[in-house]
Amino acid sequence: MNAWELIIQQPVINALIVISHYLASNFGLAIIALTIIVNICMLPLTRRQLRSTKAMQDLQPRIAELQKKYAKDKQKLAQEQMRLYKESGVKPAGCFITMIIQMPVWIALYQSIMLSLAVAPEGLLNLSKYLYSWPVVYAALPLGREFLGMNLAEPSFILAILVGATMWLQQKMSMTTSSDPKQAQQSQMMLWMMPLMFTLLAMSFPSGLALFWASSSIVRIVLQYRITGWGGLRKAPSSEVEKDKKYLKFDESAEKSIEAGAADIIIADGEPSKPGKVRYQPGKDRSRRRRKR
Amino acid sequence: MTLKQGKRRAGMILLLVFMLIAIGLAGSGCVKGLAPIGWSGGAVSDGTLFVGSREGRLVAIDLADESRQWGDPLRTTAQGGGFLGCAPGAAGGGCGAGASGVAIYGTPVVSGELVYIAGYNGKIYAYTTDSLAMRWVYPREGNLEPIVGGVVIAEDMVYFGCSDGSVYTLDATNGDPLWKFETGDRIWSTPTVIDNTVYIGSFDKKLYALNATDGIKKWEFETEGSIITTPLVSNGIVYFGSFDRSFYAVNAADGSLKWKFMAENWFWAKPVILNNTVYAGCLDGKVYALKGDSGDKVTEFNMGSPVASSPVIVNSSIVYTSREGIVYVIDTGSNALSQLAVIEEEVYGPLAIHEGIVYIHTQDLALHRVNAINGAVLRTVSLKVPE
Repeated sequence: MNAWELIIQQPVINALIVISHYLASNFGLAIIALTIIVNICMLPLTRRQLRSTKAMQDLQPRIAELQKKYAKDKQKLAQEQMRLYKESGVKPAGCFITMIIQMPVWIALYQSIMLSLAVAPEGLLNLSKYLYSWPVVYAALPLGREFLGMNLAEPSFILAILVGATMWLQQKMSMTTSSDPKQAQQSQMMLWMMPLMFTLLAMSFPSGLALFWASSSIVRIVLQYRITGWGGLRKAPSSEVEKDKKYLKFDESAEKSIEAGAADIIIADGEPSKPGKVRYQPGKDRSRRRRKR
Repeated sequence: MTLKQGKRRAGMILLLVFMLIAIGLAGSGCVKGLAPIGWSGGAVSDGTLFVGSREGRLVAIDLADESRQWGDPLRTTAQGGGFLGCAPGAAGGGCGAGASGVAIYGTPVVSGELVYIAGYNGKIYAYTTDSLAMRWVYPREGNLEPIVGGVVIAEDMVYFGCSDGSVYTLDATNGDPLWKFETGDRIWSTPTVIDNTVYIGSFDKKLYALNATDGIKKWEFETEGSIITTPLVSNGIVYFGSFDRSFYAVNAADGSLKWKFMAENWFWAKPVILNNTVYAGCLDGKVYALKGDSGDKVTEFNMGSPVASSPVIVNSSIVYTSREGIVYVIDTGSNALSQLAVIEEEVYGPLAIHEGIVYIHTQDLALHRVNAINGAVLRTVSLKVPE
């Protein structure tokens, strides 16, 4: 056994088997439980990553401004961006480093699930070398594959769809509208490509793995909500107001005194606003209107 | 679209393709044992060795001139395989299977003019020994769950266990079903039929003794782990190992426990008995020599890596192969272990013996041959269909 197997895979596999044993020999529940446990263990890292990502997103408008301002001076642009990051306390590499640290844990978890499922006879034979000499571990194997009427060793269409949907939601939550059209286009592409790709993979691999992906996404959605809120899922406040707006054009004669010719009136709940609630467009002088009356 | 935009989009697609490949490789390549490959042993009859290849074919090798004959490939089931064909659950090979085809785990059995083989696609096939023409297949329509254990022929009846948890019996001449017995979980064990009794282990942790004629249960013996070993019956005692790391001896008459021996890992390989000493290979890398009547440990032999392959008896010696491909011989007179040869390939399947030559089917689509007397490694025989 190599170091990776000894330090990472073996403990995770044995933990999965023990959890499964104590959860009524239900391997599906064991996958969900271990996903939650691992997420809780990595919470400090996840929190740091999410906050870092959020801070980066918040800086996007200012970065866009800098890009516009120093479009012809790349060196100055880089300097100004670094200064902005420093002032805001954001480390651009921070979220990537956190992701790199988390990656081996996710790969180990993923491999351990596949090994523990022991779908083929070779897999079961191979699994024997990872087992601790605890009676509970030996007695629990091979693990039951039934979960909610699904065979965890075979692909499941429903779980594949769930993987795609939860991944899309999570991606959408972590996405913000960029002022740069190219960047916005790329984000949109990633928003659809990643969930689509994982859906296809989930339709091809044992559904035990799809269950792991889906539960991971759900856990991350919950964590993300707790740490940064709904993020990209929340509608922009301005657009909400726009949706509820109705526009009425004032009679020409009533508008003689107003230079612009037309004014916006916000109608709440479909009812025209009272005269006192008339809101003028920016730049219009309310006192001048009163004087005319 | 500008050139820059085009490049950026191409880069993005390339990145996604790379990620897809990386995940696929991590799934099927790095995780060993995802795809069923097969480990059929060889059966020798009239100078011809029959073996199930990794390509999912029955291969007949004339041991005199090494000429080979291949049967038609076993057909995969329609279902399974997943969207990208990577799911290993069904009959096919999956992404990591290498030589794609129906995996064959059970050793072929020759009886009369027919040779019988079980496929992971959930079918039993009977071929003629001379031309490898298919005589019959069971079931004729559809498939059973994957069959991992081998078949046994006794009194013109075919016995086998299936992953659906049932023991099946067929008429050996035409494949008609006779009786079926259901256990509580999957069966990957090969049955043993002796004195009109079928002995078979199940994942439900029980060893069953069934009447070979009608399938009525005689007795059952429960252990604390799943049973995969083929039981050995000798002098009224049934010997078998379990996943609870124990090796058991129970009375064949009533299923009462005679003795049990605890090891450090699962028992997988079929045990052998010689001079009232039982030799049981274990996945802890050891072969235990136990007294047949009391279970007292005579000695143990360290093979260095797990022993999953069933051994063969050559005169008063027993030839074992460890998973790492090291061939050992145990002299049962002196209980001395010596290394016979190294074939440098992983070995899972049972060994076969004919005229002092040990035949070892490895994972590289080849049949290795070792002289059991002097350890000389002979030229390997490829099981691959010539292109």
